[in-house]
Amino acid sequence: MGKSKQVGNHKSDKKKNIAKTWKTKRRTKDLDQIHVDMIPTNAAKLLKQDVDYDVAGCAQHYCLHCARYFVDLKTLKEHFKTKVHKKRLKQLREEPYTQAEAERAAGMGSYIPPKKVEVHTQQVEEDMQ
Amino acid sequence: MRIEKCYFCSGPVYPGHGMMFVRNDCKIFRFCKSKCHKNFKKKRNPRKTRWTKAFRKAAGKELTVDNSLEFEQRRNIPVKYNRILWNKTVEAMKKVESIKQKRQARFIMNRLKKGKELEKAEAINEVKKNIHLIKAPHAGQARKLEEKMVQKLAEDVEMDD
Repeated sequence: MGKSKQVGNHKSDKKKNIAKTWKTKRRTKDLDQIHVDMIPTNAAKLLKQDVDYDVAGCAQHYCLHCARYFVDLKTLKEHFKTKVHKKRLKQLREEPYTQAEAERAAGMGSYIPPKKVEVHTQQVEEDMQ
Repeated sequence: MRIEKCYFCSGPVYPGHGMMFVRNDCKIFRFCKSKCHKNFKKKRNPRKTRWTKAFRKAAGKELTVDNSLEFEQRRNIPVKYNRILWNKTVEAMKKVESIKQKRQARFIMNRLKKGKELEKAEAINEVKKNIHLIKAPHAGQARKLEEKMVQKLAEDVEMDD
């Protein structure tokens, strides 16, 4: 349950400033926000964004489930094979936690078990190379 | 003014206590203490954090489905003050609470019964497996042999007669 997230990359530079990543200033998208993004109309918008020079890869290669931009198609495809991505898919397979559930747990109503959601890695166009 | 519930641990958030986080999509999260807020910032899942109410419910540690849990509700309709109604409500709240407490306690005791049964079965199994530590495997065998011999001798004597 309370297992540490850091497995096998003790010396990773990414984890040197771990307190900074927890600041609300640089907060990344939550799972429930991603669930909203996964709605087909929203997903279509996010996967076909206009060229934005401020974002990595001009916002052309976006991983919907990890809410990350990639430089090109190759790195995006590489990313789909990684542990981070697969782990994220697994987390997304459960309905997101809500304030309503917190209230039910506190004794305002009976417990309703979370539903399962089917999540698959987004399709990438092969001819876009 | 109302007592809100903490997003993370489901504890009560009294006015002037805890903190509120408004995410950039206007969604409000209330936390009863800094511990809950810190855990939220670390993106922990309350369903998988052992000390939260959500975990205890999801893991079947507590009473989850019961009619006594349906009384407390967010009612967004203001009711005009009425002394009789007020008194009755307070009485009812006390009664509901006592029933709820009893049912919850009973649920937990029933849940723990299973463990005790398993413990007992396990203890019996252990004794059965390690009986050689209590009783030597050949204890009493010599005596049995002797008895057998005596019986045989007696039979032989009878046959001879």
